[in-house]
Amino acid sequence: MKISRRKLIVLGGGAIASSALSMPAIASNKKIKVGALRFTSHSASFIAKERGYFKQAGLDVEFEFFQAAQPMAIAIASGDIDYAVTAISGGLISLAEKGAVKVIGGALSEEEGIDGQKFLVSDKAYKAGVRSPKDLNGKRYAVTQSGSSFHYMGSKMAAAENINLSFVPLQKVGAIIGALKSGQVDAWSIVPHIAKPLSRGGSIHIIGNVADYLPNYQITTVFTSSNNAKNERALTKNFLTGFSKGVDDYASTMIDKNKGDAGVNEMVDLIHKYVYTSRPREKAAPSIINGTMRLSDGASLNLASIKNQLEWFKSEGLVKKSITIDTLVDQSYVKIIS
Amino acid sequence: MNIKIKNLNHSYDKSKVLSDINLEIMDGQILSIIGPSGCGKSTLLRLIGGLEKPCSGEITQIGSPPAGCLNAMTYIFQDFALLPWRTVEENVSLVLEDHSLSNEIKRSVIDDVLDRTKLKDFSYAFPKQLSGGMKQRVAIARALAVNPAVLLMDEPLSALDSQTRELLLEDFINLWHRKPFTAVYITHNLSEAVRLGHKILVLSRRPGKIIETISIEKPIADRKLIDKDLDQYQKHLWNIMHDEARAADAELLNV
Amino acid sequence: MYDIKNKSNNSNNLNVNKPVPFIGKGFQPKTRSWMGYFVFFIIIFVLELGTSTGVISSLTLPKPSDVLETIIQLFQSGLLFKHLVPSILRLVIGALIGISLGISIGTLIGLFSYFRSGLVPVIAAIFPIPKIALLPLFVIWFGIGEGSKYALIALGSFTPTVVATYGAVDNVDRTLIRMGQSFGLSWISIVYKIVLPGAMPGILSGLRISLAISIILLVAAEMLGAEYGIGAYILEAGSLYDLERLFAGVTILSLLGITVSVFVTKLEQKILKWR
Ligand SMILES: Nc1ncnc2c1ncn2[C@@H]1O[C@H](COP(=O)(O)OP(=O)(O)O)[C@@H](O)[C@H]1O
Ligand SMILES: [Mg+2]
Repeated sequence: MKISRRKLIVLGGGAIASSALSMPAIASNKKIKVGALRFTSHSASFIAKERGYFKQAGLDVEFEFFQAAQPMAIAIASGDIDYAVTAISGGLISLAEKGAVKVIGGALSEEEGIDGQKFLVSDKAYKAGVRSPKDLNGKRYAVTQSGSSFHYMGSKMAAAENINLSFVPLQKVGAIIGALKSGQVDAWSIVPHIAKPLSRGGSIHIIGNVADYLPNYQITTVFTSSNNAKNERALTKNFLTGFSKGVDDYASTMIDKNKGDAGVNEMVDLIHKYVYTSRPREKAAPSIINGTMRLSDGASLNLASIKNQLEWFKSEGLVKKSITIDTLVDQSYVKIIS
Repeated sequence: MNIKIKNLNHSYDKSKVLSDINLEIMDGQILSIIGPSGCGKSTLLRLIGGLEKPCSGEITQIGSPPAGCLNAMTYIFQDFALLPWRTVEENVSLVLEDHSLSNEIKRSVIDDVLDRTKLKDFSYAFPKQLSGGMKQRVAIARALAVNPAVLLMDEPLSALDSQTRELLLEDFINLWHRKPFTAVYITHNLSEAVRLGHKILVLSRRPGKIIETISIEKPIADRKLIDKDLDQYQKHLWNIMHDEARAADAELLNV
Repeated sequence: MYDIKNKSNNSNNLNVNKPVPFIGKGFQPKTRSWMGYFVFFIIIFVLELGTSTGVISSLTLPKPSDVLETIIQLFQSGLLFKHLVPSILRLVIGALIGISLGISIGTLIGLFSYFRSGLVPVIAAIFPIPKIALLPLFVIWFGIGEGSKYALIALGSFTPTVVATYGAVDNVDRTLIRMGQSFGLSWISIVYKIVLPGAMPGILSGLRISLAISIILLVAAEMLGAEYGIGAYILEAGSLYDLERLFAGVTILSLLGITVSVFVTKLEQKILKWR
């Protein structure tokens, strides 16, 4: 996790100073830092960098890799990175409330017809007769932290099924998988390219789709510091332009298969430079292909989904009730779907 | 009960500490032992008390301990060895607790020894509240509580200032007078030795050998702080010890 | 030059009367307890002023009055006890296990050379391990429920207690033990009436450290699988970047620490009144 207190203070106390110092972003190879996780859902950024779309937009992008989404939000707030893609979380909303970060676009979303996130259960729960999410009443549901996207998904599902879940915070995805395998927790939800290989072992079972409860769920969003959103409009637009081209390539090749299998293979090669780098290509390829999900076209944002998420965070008392959608989202950059 | 020591030798590693000790401790009498420091006095006392085993020789008890004796060989330590977390009374009680005595008996023993050592008013005081002299009185009371066959005292007064020492010496003499007990009294103070000892034993420098034994006939109760009869004994002892002490002193410096 | 001359003249002059200057000033720390409160008050006051004027951004530090309000709300909603009760239970049970085991093992090490030779290296090996790192292991051994939390806190308080205990046993005045032996006290009596009470001051100061470590580990223990608990509350506040709650939680934890310290002081006063 990268966070410097010095930068936090500078950001809070001297937002004007920092904006005065930064130069206007004309096509001049402006150096920016982009936060990313080594997940297929971050492919658009990787493609935009590898295929030179960022360069065309006048940006010299350097990636900063993180282990989890939460620290990325803090790194944006501290000014250590400029742009990032991550799920809406309580932390992100709180930082927006403090005037530090802004959501400017959409990335990963659930879409009908494309394999989306799955609900998983442990073998123990499965053997005890849990076959669909509605059987999970009173069960232990794993989340990384309260206010994480996992918490949101579980809670929404429970509300829809009118059941009770007890949420178990386990901090890390690795810890959750371990707890699920050993039957210490009963259920969880995760993206398909992690869900499917897990279910193959037999110790974990897939019992439902998140999309059934949260259609058109805007899972991840593009966000930046409030300062960038407000005072660096050109730079921000340039970033979104490059990013969108990456999204287009990704969607046309991986989802619509416009370039056939050869295109897919070529793109897998590209993504493999960033994701599953420790595995050989043959082993990485199925995971990358399985992980294909819809990235919002032109980084468009499903505002209805975001509003729904914001309301949920408020109703759970995880964030301040006073926060409005405009505190969280700057709607001036991308197409807004409602 | 008498104690007889025959041909006793003792060494630590290769250095000999005690050499060919023969003596008898007589029932109801006080035996003073003097000698230069490091000559093995404390070692001898530990051997008599059974805290250590002699390398060779015999230490025998002749006769049996007095009736009601709970601990035949009982020490009184130079630094009192009181438990700081116990009151005066509890410190005395400590040595009775392991014996199956009724509470009334325990109570009466404690009362008796505190009375004899003039500590009645301090029953509930903690050691840190007491002066050095008082502390040693507690230690004496504790030792008397077990009704010992032999009291083994290793320089019991040397941690005290000279006035307190004199007061305690008088108390000690009174105690013995009222109810005679058997004791070995180790000291490096010649005047204490002649005040208390029925017999006085002089040890040479290390390895300790008995170089002189004298008996003083004058009853202990009649001996005074300034006493012409004792002076001659003291002078005599000093003449014997003078050279030994000097040699022992030089020896220590050479170590 | 002039000075030197002057001095040598004066040195023989017995008519000059001058008080001896006092040069022994300073270097004698005294306790001024109000100073602590004063510094505390000043810090809070400055923070309140800074945050309400905006000199300190809300991203940097929360407003102290907001933190206080959060604590009051927490209390009024009853949530405070919902978090506090499981935490205190974990602390008490975990520390009780760790400390009682620690005192037993420490005493054995202090008394028996076989235990000493066998266990001191083991303890030395366990001591520096960051216990937090073992949490996932404990989850597998003791489950994700309370077991792993007790185990973590117990292990954390165990090692300093062992070290403090056998150190304290070593430091018990040997002449007291000799005295006990010379009076024919049984082994059990010597241990219970001489060794353990004599080691008590050392054990109690070890207790202070063990309990402080237990509180630190409480937060770590509640990282995994705790819905309620002060540690869980703090972690949640951190992940939500909710500084008011974060500081409210930290304040409660500090108060818990102070309470524990006062408890140990009271215990010392009671047990060590002979000092
Ligand atoms: N436990 C021991 N191990 C080795 N040497 C010892 C031990 N106890 C005493 N000594 C040595 O034996 C000698 C006699 O000691 P000690 O009996 O204490 O003399 P004193 O009491 O007459 O001054 C000394 O030189 C001392 O260093
Ligand atoms: Mg000696």
